[in-house]
Amino acid sequence: MKKVNLFKTLNLVFLSVVLLFFASCGGRGTTEETRAERRAERSERIDLLGAGASFPAPLVTAMADEYRQVTNNRVTINYQSIGSGGGIRQFSEQTIMFGMSEAFLSDDIMAEVESKTEGRAFNLPITLADVVITYNVPGTDKGVVFDGELIVDIYMERITSWNDPKIAALNPGKNLPSLPVTVVHRSDGSGTTNVFTSFLTRVSEEWRNKIGFGTSVNWPAGIGGNGNEGVAGAVMNTPGAIGYNSFSYALLNDMSYGFIVNSSGNIIEPSYPATTEAANIDLPEDTRILFTNTPAPDGYPIAGFAWMLVHENLDKNNAINSREEAAELVGFLVWAITEGQELSEELGYARLPEAAIERNFEMISQIKWRGENIGREVLKKNQLL
Amino acid sequence: MKSFAENKTLFQRNLWDRFMVGLLIVSTILVMVPLLIIIGYVIINGISALNWEFFTEELGSPARAMQGRPTGLVHTIIGTAVVDLLALIISAPVGLGAGILLSEYPDHKLNPFLRIINDTLNGMPAILKGLLAFALIVKPMGTFSGLSGGFALAFVMIPIIARSTESALMNIPWSIREAGLAIGLPRWRVVLSTVMPAAKTGLVTGFLISFARAAGEAAPLMFTSFGNNYLPNHWTGMIFGPVDTLPQRLYSLAISPYKEWHAMGWAAGIVLLVFVITLFVTARLLTRENKYN
Repeated sequence: MKKVNLFKTLNLVFLSVVLLFFASCGGRGTTEETRAERRAERSERIDLLGAGASFPAPLVTAMADEYRQVTNNRVTINYQSIGSGGGIRQFSEQTIMFGMSEAFLSDDIMAEVESKTEGRAFNLPITLADVVITYNVPGTDKGVVFDGELIVDIYMERITSWNDPKIAALNPGKNLPSLPVTVVHRSDGSGTTNVFTSFLTRVSEEWRNKIGFGTSVNWPAGIGGNGNEGVAGAVMNTPGAIGYNSFSYALLNDMSYGFIVNSSGNIIEPSYPATTEAANIDLPEDTRILFTNTPAPDGYPIAGFAWMLVHENLDKNNAINSREEAAELVGFLVWAITEGQELSEELGYARLPEAAIERNFEMISQIKWRGENIGREVLKKNQLL
Repeated sequence: MKSFAENKTLFQRNLWDRFMVGLLIVSTILVMVPLLIIIGYVIINGISALNWEFFTEELGSPARAMQGRPTGLVHTIIGTAVVDLLALIISAPVGLGAGILLSEYPDHKLNPFLRIINDTLNGMPAILKGLLAFALIVKPMGTFSGLSGGFALAFVMIPIIARSTESALMNIPWSIREAGLAIGLPRWRVVLSTVMPAAKTGLVTGFLISFARAAGEAAPLMFTSFGNNYLPNHWTGMIFGPVDTLPQRLYSLAISPYKEWHAMGWAAGIVLLVFVITLFVTARLLTRENKYN
C-alpha cells in the first residue's frame, strides 16, 4: 500500500534527522577506549551564554572563537547581539550568564540587582568605542580639524557652509569650498549616538540644556540614517555632508574623518592608541564613568567603554547552573581582558588601558560562587594576582 | 425589452466564456508571479554562498567570514529540525484533541468557546506567543532553550492542527461511525479505531501544513530558542540550551553589516524555502492520494 510507504518515509526522515544530530555530537572513535575517553572529555565541556550590545559583537565572538581553540573546545561561548538595552534587560532577568552594554548600568538597575542577588552587578570594561566625525567634502581628505563648539554649531545648524570663518580658523591653509553643510545623524537608538552626544553635552552648556545625551536624542537639525551603514551611505552620497560613525566603520569604508581638539587643546588624530589613552584616567572603582572630553592630554575625546555585565554572586544568577560554569565564565573574562585584547586592532578596536585592566582585576577578584571566592582563585591560577 | 443575455448568439456566448477563462488564467499567473520572483531572487542571491562548508561548519564570529575562513550553518539546520520536531510533538496531541472534540462531539458545551479561543490563538501575532513561552518557560528555567522555542512554535501549530483535524474528521461519512456504533463499540473506540484511521492522510496533511507554517516563523523564537553561534557541546543542549533556527538566523544575518553574512542569509533562505516547499508538496501528494481511495 502506498500510504504506508509514505509513513515509512516520514519515519525515515525523522530517524535520519535524529541520527544526523547524534552523529554530529558523537565522535567517530573506533575502539571502546577512545570512545570512553572522548566521552569523558566531552562531559567536561561547557557552554556559556552572553548577549547584548552589537558594537562589540565582532570582537567578542572572535574572542569566543579563539578561546574555544585555546581551551581545546572545552569552553564554547555563545554571544548573541541583541543591542545594549536587550543585554541589560536579559542580564537583570537572569536569563544570560553575562550581558554586554555600551552604557553602564544605571543606579536603579544596580540597586535592583543588589536586592535580587544580595551582591553587586559588576561593569567590566571589555573594549572601547570610538566615534569619528565623517564628512564628504570634494577635494578634501581626512584631517579637517574640529573642536567641540564647532561640532555643536554645525549640529545646531548655525554653520551652514564649509567656508565658514569658524571652520577656516581651525583649519588654516586648507581651502574649503563654499558648499552647504548637510548634517546626518543616526535615526535608531545607538551606543554610538550615546558617546557622541555625551561629548557634545560635556563641551557645550547649551547642548546640555537643550538636547542632552542618550542613545537617541531630539536632533535640532539634519537627516537620519539607520545604523552605521545608513549614516555612512548618506554622507558618502551627499557632497557637503557631515555625520558620525564608529572609527572602525569609517576605516573599513574608506571615509574621510576629522581630527578633534581635546580638552587640553591638542589636535588628536583618531587612532587606537589615542582612544586607549583617553581611558587612561583616574577610574572610579566600579568603572561606571563616561570619559568623553577626556582630561588625558593625548586622549581622543569622543570615546567610551563597552562593558561586560556580571553578577558578584554568580550562584544567584539563574542562568548559571554549576560552579564549573561560573569558574569557566570567570576564566573567559580574565582571558578576554588580557590575551584576548591581542585581537583588537585587526578587528578595528582599541585596546583596554592598564587602568581599566587593573580595575577589572579588582572587580573579578570579588566574584563569588556560594560565598567561595572563585574570582580570586582563577586570577591566582593565571598568576595575575 | 429583451435582456442582454437573451440577445446573445452562440458565438457571443463562446467569446464571453473564453474571455472569462482568460481572466482566470491571468489572475492565476498574477498569484504565481510574486512567488516565482521571490524564489528566483533568493536563489540568485544565495546560490554563491551555498557550498559544502555551509552544511558542515558552525557560524562562529563574523571575523571568520570577513577573513575567508570556513563558516556555515550546520548548527542552524540541525537546530531548526530539533525545535520544529519538539513543537510538533508538543502540539500534535493537543491539536488533535481539540479537533476531535470539535468534530466528533459537535454538541459539547465547550465547543463554541473552544472555537473562539482557537481562532483567537490563530490570529494572535506570533511574537506574543514567543513572549508567552518566555514567561512560562524561559524565566522559570533561567535559560533560553530549544524546548521553550518548541512551545512557542507549538502555540502557532495548535490552532492549525485543531482546524485541519476537525475538517479531516468531518470528511469521513457518518455511516462509518454508525457502523461502529451498531456493533456496540463505545464512542471513543469508534473515533480511535474507525474514524481516525480513515482520516489518516487528512490528519498527516494538517500536521505537515502546520509544521511548514511554524518552520518559517522567526518572531516567536527571538526570546525563546534565542540563537547560538555553535552546536551545543552536549546533545541535551539542543533541548535545554539556546539553539539556532533558520528563520531567526536569517533575520540576524540580514540585519548584520557584513556582505558575506548577507549572502549567507540568502543561502539560509534557500534552505528554508526548500524545506517548506518539500513539506507542502508532500502534503499535496498525500491529499491527492486520498481522492483515489
